[in-house]
Amino acid sequence: MRARAYAALALAWFAVPVVPMLIWAGADRWTAPALLPQELGVRGWQAAWDAGVLAAGARSLLLGAAVAAIATPLGATAGRVLGWGRGWSRALVAVVMLLPVLLPPFAVSIGLDVLLLRLQVPGLVATIAVLATFALPYCAFTIGAGYAATDRTVEDQARALGARPRTARRRATLPALRRPLLVAAVLAFLVGWSDYVVTLLLGGGQLVTLPVLLGSAASGTGNEPTVAALAVATAVPPVLLLGAVVLLARRRTRSAVA
Amino acid sequence: MTDHRDLLRATPSLAAVLAIAGVGMGLVVLTSFGLMPLVGAPEASLAGWRLSGTDLLLGVRETLVIATASTVVACAIGLAVGSLVLAAGPGVRLVRAVAVVVLALPHLVGAASTGLLLRDAGLAERVAGAAGLPASAGWPRLVGGPWPVATVLEFAWKESAFVALVVVAALGATHVARTETAAALGATPWQRWRRVLVPASLPAVGASGLIVFVYTVGNYEVAWLLGRAYPEPLPVLAFRLFTSVDLTDRPAAAAAAAVTAALALGTAVVVAVLLPSLARALGHGVGAGGSDLAARAGAAR
Repeated sequence: MRARAYAALALAWFAVPVVPMLIWAGADRWTAPALLPQELGVRGWQAAWDAGVLAAGARSLLLGAAVAAIATPLGATAGRVLGWGRGWSRALVAVVMLLPVLLPPFAVSIGLDVLLLRLQVPGLVATIAVLATFALPYCAFTIGAGYAATDRTVEDQARALGARPRTARRRATLPALRRPLLVAAVLAFLVGWSDYVVTLLLGGGQLVTLPVLLGSAASGTGNEPTVAALAVATAVPPVLLLGAVVLLARRRTRSAVA
Repeated sequence: MTDHRDLLRATPSLAAVLAIAGVGMGLVVLTSFGLMPLVGAPEASLAGWRLSGTDLLLGVRETLVIATASTVVACAIGLAVGSLVLAAGPGVRLVRAVAVVVLALPHLVGAASTGLLLRDAGLAERVAGAAGLPASAGWPRLVGGPWPVATVLEFAWKESAFVALVVVAALGATHVARTETAAALGATPWQRWRRVLVPASLPAVGASGLIVFVYTVGNYEVAWLLGRAYPEPLPVLAFRLFTSVDLTDRPAAAAAAAVTAALALGTAVVVAVLLPSLARALGHGVGAGGSDLAARAGAAR
């Protein structure tokens, strides 16, 4: 009984903060002190549509995908040293990979801004490069944990059977790392999808992603349905992505068992 | 030999971090001393540091208050939720799944919704009113008020999910054997939690707590949306000065950014020197959020 109460308390802690967003996203009028909206409707969604929620969503999707496409393979090379390496080479990679975890992305962006302007690097390229750098540690440590859990002799056996180093890596090691690679790609995607401040600082106002739309709406007042609709639009894709990853892993496990 | 080849193959990722994070930090310091102006010739000057002097000190205080409070609350609740999940009672699969969802949500979404919850006429005030709580003193200013209550609660909400998942990932494999041994030796549930689980989870809580602290020091959007207008935490101060129409504010913005980075990096270095075991757990902590997503993805096994 007590365990049930604790679980309910934990669920409430995680769920309550998103409740107003979910209610407001379906409310046209909800004046205080009413506990429930006086009028339901899609006013917020219409305003979000007019603000360009679809195009912003597509930009966010592409930004997340680009960050994942760069950070995952780079993270895999560092992850191999973190998982299988020893001594100073492992320590070196660990220290370098911790740097982006410790440094604030906005500070790095402020520092790079003038240089990127002088080198005439387009805002989109700069944003992707900086976000991929900040996603790298999550990929490296996740894939590193995957390497550490994988028996190194798999690759040695493939080599002993005559496979070239590259073939042994691709055909023996990579399949064993499928799951950490997938999770690393999801984490990197989330870094690109969720970012607000780097996109704003380096995108030069041209790169209007979902968080940029949401930030601009949330800083105003009197537009709760719009803020809620944009917040839901920003929240749902990561949750769907997680669900898809869980289903994919489940299906793969089942087909492997069959 | 293989180690060296692997290191060589990892060179592009090391170079990317050093080039972007290293150069970015170097340039932020140069900019703060006027050596990297947007227009005109570089000229060494302390003007940027002087311009933001008092605001900088107040910003450090505000940042430290927010980061310390958020870290303490996130660690306490994260440990409690992690203990609950490890105990494997009824409903914990759902708790763990919801924690993973919270981890995946952007902070900006959390901040926007927390605003709708805690501000004047927000859902919390309506529920308090309906529950008959005395309204004579009025609703406290949780958003934008003298204390950063909404900011801290938003950070604690999302980061407690991170701490909980790191604790579960770090202890999951050994937890059952450990508590069964303690139970066989006659330990009560409270003793098992106090004397077995808490000490075993301390490195995970400490490492994830350090990551939470450093993250909250450098986060912009949560305090920007939920905090008061003055004094601002360092990231909000830096961003405002950086986007100011007055170009002479840029060195001041860079000074605030440099202090933020020094605060985050300095804390990590001090912790690493004082608590080497925590430093070793740090890398694990970064990966453990991902590892738990991986475990979740493989939950059907």
